[in-house]
Amino acid sequence: MISVRGVRKSFGSATVLDGIDLEVHRGEVVSILGSSGSGKSTLVRCINGLEKLDGGRITVDDFDVSHPKQLAEARKRSATVFQLFNLYPHMTAVQNVTLAPIQVLKQSRTQAESAARALLDSVGLGARADAYPAQLSGGQRQRVGICRALAMKPSYLLLDEITSALDPEMTAEVLSILARLAKTGTTMVFVTHEIEFARTISSRIVFLDKGQLVVDLPTGQFFAPDGGMSKPRIAQFLSKMRKD
Amino acid sequence: MMRYTSFTSYDFILLAQGLGVSLALFLATTLIGLFVGTMWAIIRFYRVPVLTQFITFFAELLKNSPVLVQLFLVFFGLPALAKINITPVEAAVITLSGNTAAFIYVIAVSAIESIGRDQIESARVFGLSRWQVLRHVIAPQAVAFAIGPLTGLLVNQLQVTSLISVIGVVDLTKIGNILNLRTLKPFIVWTVVGGLYYVTAKLIAYGGARLEQRLRAHTAWKGL
Repeated sequence: MISVRGVRKSFGSATVLDGIDLEVHRGEVVSILGSSGSGKSTLVRCINGLEKLDGGRITVDDFDVSHPKQLAEARKRSATVFQLFNLYPHMTAVQNVTLAPIQVLKQSRTQAESAARALLDSVGLGARADAYPAQLSGGQRQRVGICRALAMKPSYLLLDEITSALDPEMTAEVLSILARLAKTGTTMVFVTHEIEFARTISSRIVFLDKGQLVVDLPTGQFFAPDGGMSKPRIAQFLSKMRKD
Repeated sequence: MMRYTSFTSYDFILLAQGLGVSLALFLATTLIGLFVGTMWAIIRFYRVPVLTQFITFFAELLKNSPVLVQLFLVFFGLPALAKINITPVEAAVITLSGNTAAFIYVIAVSAIESIGRDQIESARVFGLSRWQVLRHVIAPQAVAFAIGPLTGLLVNQLQVTSLISVIGVVDLTKIGNILNLRTLKPFIVWTVVGGLYYVTAKLIAYGGARLEQRLRAHTAWKGL
């Protein structure tokens, strides 16, 4: 379980997270919605330990991310896919995927490589496994990014606006992979602007606004007129996003 | 009294010896400088308190004062201060290594800093230690980045070795001096000596360019 308790985070005088409480259990797909600047990405960066908390506590399977020793354990349990892919440009797709399994999980090179090639094959990149990131399209790079995360066999997959930098066609190819993962019971924290897609794969939807958690509801209730839509801020947000 | 003002075949051996001394000192001080300068950069990467500030200050001193003055300080100053004996070769090795290290430190620091934060963050998130990130993510890219400036630096450092002739190391320049005094044909002597430095420098530059090509070709980076 990922447990977020009363988390606060500020950058200078700007409060980005203002007392967030959230729980993500195994097998759930939790989508985090909210306008830009609402704190969605910062929340993910707090969960994977990239930002220091100013208050509150985050644990991943009971490992506290604020303790350096426990953070290492927490990081073995979750894996992040980034908005801008963050691939290592000097490594091929396969090398990108195998680096952490070899260095952190101490897998043998052969073992890690065959697993990586199988993963890349499963996302339609079998033939591009030995290409460098610069030789791949955005959608292909993000698929490598997903494989890199999956290769760690994480209990939790953290997805930080992973389609924001992609055109609609590439977005579709990445989302279809997520849909498949959701079906196989992969636990996901899905920060996104893809509302319709979030609706199809999520078990729960969380809405953030100005660093505060406005609602945390099962997907059906979130979109029901008497549920999430009864909140003016959410109704406004959804109507705007749908017009676009 | 007669002077041997004409060149003999033995002079080629002298020149070869001088070139050998210059090259040996260049290679030794380059290796030491590479090692020390890289160590300094790694200490800075780990943000070791006090030591980092000291290194930065010391490197600034080395970069901003003439090598010849540093050489005199080590060769004449250090023995006077610490009551120790320093041979010309030792003084040359210490001074040139320190000077090279200071410039390699600067190149290494900017090479490390040229690597995008996002890659380092993602490696950290996947559980790689700071050292593993340095070793597998930063170093390979930083080397490719640094090889150009490094080649330029080494070409320059080769020329700087000529200064050590002043304290009596029998390098290529010192041999030039000796031949010049004997033959009284300065134009020929210094043209030959200069030509030897030139050819050596060109070889270093050529080697650096080849290495850079190889390091970058396999990464297939575009426009970097």
